[in-house]
Amino acid sequence: MGLFSRRSVGPLGPLGAEDRQDPAISGNGRFLASVLEQGGKAMVVLQGQPGGQTVALRHLRGHEPHSSPSLSWNGRYIAALVQQGPERVAILEDRATGKLLRLPLPNGSQPARLSLAPDGQRIAIEVTEGGQSRVQLFDLTGQLEPDLPGGLAVQGGPSAP
Amino acid sequence: MHRIIHRISRSRRISHKLGLAVAIAASAGLLSGCMGAMPTPMAALNRQLAMVGTNRAPSLSGRWLAVITGRGGRDQVLLLDVAGNAHVPVPGLNRGDAQPISVGVDASGERLALVRQLEGRTELVLYRRSLMSLQPIPMEPAGVPHQLAMRADGKELAVQISRDGLWQIDLIALP
Repeated sequence: MGLFSRRSVGPLGPLGAEDRQDPAISGNGRFLASVLEQGGKAMVVLQGQPGGQTVALRHLRGHEPHSSPSLSWNGRYIAALVQQGPERVAILEDRATGKLLRLPLPNGSQPARLSLAPDGQRIAIEVTEGGQSRVQLFDLTGQLEPDLPGGLAVQGGPSAP
Repeated sequence: MHRIIHRISRSRRISHKLGLAVAIAASAGLLSGCMGAMPTPMAALNRQLAMVGTNRAPSLSGRWLAVITGRGGRDQVLLLDVAGNAHVPVPGLNRGDAQPISVGVDASGERLALVRQLEGRTELVLYRRSLMSLQPIPMEPAGVPHQLAMRADGKELAVQISRDGLWQIDLIALP
């Protein structure tokens, strides 16, 4: 096994074989988010670790395809790119309160990836504009309570089938 | 009779339009920023990022931002101290003949993980900034790494790997 011990993230369904992409892990390692390709849809799935139980997300369903999930330290906040009509939009769900934040982007720019700071106080969004990629940082101080090491984990309910 | 049918038909059209409008409004409401004030762009850092060329694949952790920048036809990993608004050197991490694909940084800024293409292979490496050391992380079972995420405490990586014709995710504990 060498220096690095590893484990595979288990399948979500009984069939076993699934495409799983775009991993994100909470700062404390208790939650893993990934994008699951299923039925022609790319959906963010949140799982507790190490058990792998799925955890419900309130706001993402119906806005597929999803991409680029990112988690805060205790998994309280999950940010992702979703589809709203013809637009890709960056959103952030507060799993403790159920609230949602839509992150504004400059006109004419398409979000491609994002990364949320573990404390939830900043976010970096890669946008494409005129064929060029650039990263933009946003300050979320005052928008979100910090999600700090040692904070309470938000367990949430199981995901609907 | 015609008048009655016309009225029913008109009433259905209005009802359909109303339903559609409610659905659109609900959808818009769902994603319309429910938390009040808007997030603030960090103008100084955004200007600095724009100056270094194109940049992509951000990883934000603690006061650190790692991105892959492209300038003069060469991609490399750039580490920024967001709090200090400054570039931080990462000697030994970048190579002129390597193509970085995905990068992650921990909250202390000590550990960076990188997927890169080098000499026709795609490899995963761990960089320790204080030691300026680069350590390959073998793929076992064999597979080709693509995207990665590093836990903020630097203890684990989640890595998207192409294996047996599928994308899988491995969790790799770091010593």
